[in-house]
Amino acid sequence: MDISTALPILEVKGITKRFGKFVAVDNVDFFIRDGEFFTLVGPSGSGKTTLLRMLVGMEKPSSGELKLRGNRINELAPNKRPTCMVFQSLALFPHMTVGKNVEFPMNIRGVKDSDRRTRAMELLTLLHLNPYRYYDKNVTQCSGGERQRVALARALAYDPDILFFDEPLSAIDAQLRKVLQKELKDIQRQTRKTFCYVTHSLEEAMVMSDRVAILRAGAIEQIGTPDKIYASPKNAFVAEFMGEVNLLSIVATEPGKATWEANLNRLPIHIPVDPTLESGAARKLLIRPESLRFLASGEVAGNSIPVRIINEFLLGSRIQYHVEVVPGCNLTVERLREERTTATEATLGWEITDSQILES
Amino acid sequence: MNPPFWKKFFGPGLIGSLSATPFLLLMLFGFVAPLLCVVWFGLMPPKTFELLQAPTLENYRTIFEQTYFKSILWSLALAVATVIILLIICYPLAFAIAKIFRGGGYFITYAIVTSLFVSENIRLFGWVIGFMKNGVVGGTLAKYFDIQIDSLLYNIPVIILGMVYVYLPFMLFPLVLGIKMIPDPVREAAFDMGANRWQVFRKIDLPLSMPGVMIGSLLVFVLSIGAISEAKILGGQKVVTIASDIETEFTYAQNWPLGSALSTVFIALTMVVVFLTLSRFDLEKLLGKKSS
Repeated sequence: MDISTALPILEVKGITKRFGKFVAVDNVDFFIRDGEFFTLVGPSGSGKTTLLRMLVGMEKPSSGELKLRGNRINELAPNKRPTCMVFQSLALFPHMTVGKNVEFPMNIRGVKDSDRRTRAMELLTLLHLNPYRYYDKNVTQCSGGERQRVALARALAYDPDILFFDEPLSAIDAQLRKVLQKELKDIQRQTRKTFCYVTHSLEEAMVMSDRVAILRAGAIEQIGTPDKIYASPKNAFVAEFMGEVNLLSIVATEPGKATWEANLNRLPIHIPVDPTLESGAARKLLIRPESLRFLASGEVAGNSIPVRIINEFLLGSRIQYHVEVVPGCNLTVERLREERTTATEATLGWEITDSQILES
Repeated sequence: MNPPFWKKFFGPGLIGSLSATPFLLLMLFGFVAPLLCVVWFGLMPPKTFELLQAPTLENYRTIFEQTYFKSILWSLALAVATVIILLIICYPLAFAIAKIFRGGGYFITYAIVTSLFVSENIRLFGWVIGFMKNGVVGGTLAKYFDIQIDSLLYNIPVIILGMVYVYLPFMLFPLVLGIKMIPDPVREAAFDMGANRWQVFRKIDLPLSMPGVMIGSLLVFVLSIGAISEAKILGGQKVVTIASDIETEFTYAQNWPLGSALSTVFIALTMVVVFLTLSRFDLEKLLGKKSS
């Protein structure tokens, strides 16, 4: 089944949360499709955790409506909602074994002892934890990655309609995080559950999600598939959030031309023609590091500037360069290893079509 | 080759051993030596004041032949009752202080600590004034409601009231610490996975606050089993506790060896109860530091 046409399972309509005068979440509208991997992403203080806590029922919205499968759930307490959350701290029960942790939701529901055990074993196997080794192990003795898996197994044992995640991978080292991200996506595909993930890393969101919503100061900035957001970020905030990109402050002069305000220096450059852009309007110009290249002598590009190469970082198959355009204004360039240069002075070039004009 | 054992004390650890010395001396002369004296004195012939005599079990025969077991049982019963009542009273209060009240928790804490500034005996005499015939309670009832009541003192409930009142802080504060150790997300997670309040309490709060419950209970038990003033001041001579028996032997009866033997039996009994409880509830395991 194609996820992009699935029906909404959770509808969020005009949800607002105020703490005194402070508005943490401001009139947010979106929906989550049945069976999709949906991610809420935003920097700290963007209201993503507050929003999540309202979705699971631990906070009450000040106004707006939450609908699960068409039924209003605003007033439903978390223990009455068919949703479940994996906490940032994981919140495993430290006084129970791995097996008892996983069985907890079934224990509450009154599932028979033997059925509980069988299901817990199944879930541990699904999460690559050998049930015979881990069932009787104390959770406090498990490693970070193992604890992640136990927390996920326990949440799956609740058999929720939607599984929420509050940045559970943030405390895990980068290498293991990448493994667990892919595993999480795998589990989601296998179980066909709806996952709603919250993170501050757009990179993490891009890897796993079917759709991503980007939050800024309590409101949704952009919502769409990772592809769509990568190809056409709505504004400079979204673009910057995607990681290492070059954002040039420009002021339009005439169609297809602008001045780049590079740390007090004004450099004339060519930009894509945009009929709606008035002369004198300030914008940001997005150029991805991989769109920048060093020009050989005599080579022509849409824009070219002399630069000084100040740093070189090896990133596996690629090399990243930091280059100085004018003092205090650096750009990031990424080239393949084969194109490595040892020069200190070079001419940097990019095509006009590789740059995008964004609202700041 | 291992260095000679004394190297450990005179090598880099010298400062450490030196700074441990005051405590070591205090424990040796303030705790171990008196304890050994008491045990040894219990083996001396009755009604003597000499430590250098042939040991005898005479005193222990007296203890087991006479009715001292009654006072031991009374002390035990009063202590157990105090612990149980304090657990029931203090758990909700401790929970409120640890998890619900914000500033209010500090106010209650200070208020309770302040009561400790006044000597225990003076506070108990306060209750006597309150409960005696025509005291604060009886007098008020007689004047404004025309109800005549007799003295409320000198019975077992009032002794237990006194003990519950005096030992409340020793139960409350360990409980507050124990309950504070329960991580909020763990409670929220249980709630999120369908548990109701009672289930969260039974399966999460209670087991995770067990260290506090155990420490509070043991503290109150050990203090109240040796209690003497409550039974004397509030209870008159209604019940005789083991502590008051021991006091009598050392003062009026002038039978120090019997008093020492009673003390030895009492200390041994308390130790057995405490260690049995401690081994039954392994604190480390409750805290999840050890696997089963």
